[in-house]
Amino acid sequence: MIRALGVLLIVWGGLAQAQAQMATTPEAMALLRRIYEATEKLSYTGTFVYQQGERNETSRITRANGAGGGVERLEVLDGMPREIVRTRDTVRCYLPESQTVKVERRSDRRAFPALLPERITDLARSYTISRGEPVRIAGYDCESVVLTPVDDLRYGYVLWADANTGMLLKARTVNRKGETIEQFTFTQLAIGQVSRDKVRTRHAARNWRVEDAAVTPANLAQSGWTASADLPGFRKVIEVTRKLGESRPVGQMVYSDGIAAVSVFIEPIAGRAEAVRPGLSSLGAFHIYTREVANHIVTVVGEAPAASVQRIANTVEFRQPQ
Amino acid sequence: MKSKISAFMDGELHPGESPEPFAALREHGEARDAWRTYHLISDAMRDTRLLSGGFSARVAAKLAEEPTVIAPSLAGQRPRPSVWALAAAASLAVVFVGGIAYVMQQGTDAPPEVAAVQPPQTPAKEVAQVAPPDTANDYLLAHQGYSPRITLQGMAPYVRMVSGEARAGKR
Repeated sequence: MIRALGVLLIVWGGLAQAQAQMATTPEAMALLRRIYEATEKLSYTGTFVYQQGERNETSRITRANGAGGGVERLEVLDGMPREIVRTRDTVRCYLPESQTVKVERRSDRRAFPALLPERITDLARSYTISRGEPVRIAGYDCESVVLTPVDDLRYGYVLWADANTGMLLKARTVNRKGETIEQFTFTQLAIGQVSRDKVRTRHAARNWRVEDAAVTPANLAQSGWTASADLPGFRKVIEVTRKLGESRPVGQMVYSDGIAAVSVFIEPIAGRAEAVRPGLSSLGAFHIYTREVANHIVTVVGEAPAASVQRIANTVEFRQPQ
Repeated sequence: MKSKISAFMDGELHPGESPEPFAALREHGEARDAWRTYHLISDAMRDTRLLSGGFSARVAAKLAEEPTVIAPSLAGQRPRPSVWALAAAASLAVVFVGGIAYVMQQGTDAPPEVAAVQPPQTPAKEVAQVAPPDTANDYLLAHQGYSPRITLQGMAPYVRMVSGEARAGKR
């Protein structure tokens, strides 16, 4: 027994030491802030690789900054072709194989995830934010910031950004064991001056089917639905009704700790063509947990460990509104 | 007996104080009928939604399917080691540190002690691993727009869809 205690003491001592080495530093916070600002302000065009498990996918991304906000265009070059163009208040996803364009408009500007210094202060509650080792990526000398979770409820992140501009060149998500579960890496990048032509879709999309998500801010509690972010650090950032796919009306609530996000979707079972498979599925850093509540399907989608996604899913409740 | 069952339903009786209604419910058809009838009346009065037919049978079947808990929590199961046991273990350990082979053997004889200090193992909840929903990409797309990752790294996270997505093409 004493031996076990001894081992515990050694482990404990080791943890304390590791924590002493990894405290949140103002330099790391400042770098994180620079990355957020660069993402919002820079114009660039480049190619990046997305890695997740066995999967390796190359995409081209272009951003043109300008009055009225930037326009961004993402084109996935491997596998199923798809292109996504985002302006300040609209996201359009073009799927040439099915000749479909999915449109999501944001009538309510508050619906955008806040990108503000408060967010970084928020993050510091759930993660230790420290500096990592500088490295060179795609020809850029990069500085690194490491977000180490304070608990098991979320993943860790390592970010590498250009030392001059703050442009994010590489982002890695790691699990508790330190294993990489997904990674984005630029292989080529040019920062500065991008003409507006470069961010226009290459699809005319005439006669394509248009699926409008019809996103509307909502209060789902009024119709009897509640969930709670039972997880420390997570809070509700948005609550809307919308359509999924062609016409399925759903309620959506999003919980976030500042970087990780979990969406709760609630939709009636009635009229669903697809068979419902209650249970958990894992897609790299994502987990999807499906359960049935009061003749509705609750689907919880999150960039968080399975246990966190399940915990939020299990708080979803329906009470007949009075 | 019926009045006692009614009192039990209202939470006014406790098993330790008054065992009769429990025994009656276990044994007598009449008591059970009374139990069901009282619940029906109470449901009707409170306008509770009716359960579907065969509900209790289904619950019983589900319960029967539940895996048996092999490693129950430690609470109340094993008495705490006494001060004497602690002292004995401590002296054993001290000699062990001295590196005497005999005590090492003693040490291997004592695995239950070591097991006792380990935290209680919470049995992992059985969760079915399933294939992602056919419309997983609709969910992912709807989710991405509200993920703060977008504010950190622009649109790149939108690439995260179910790969080999032939399904979206078919729809």
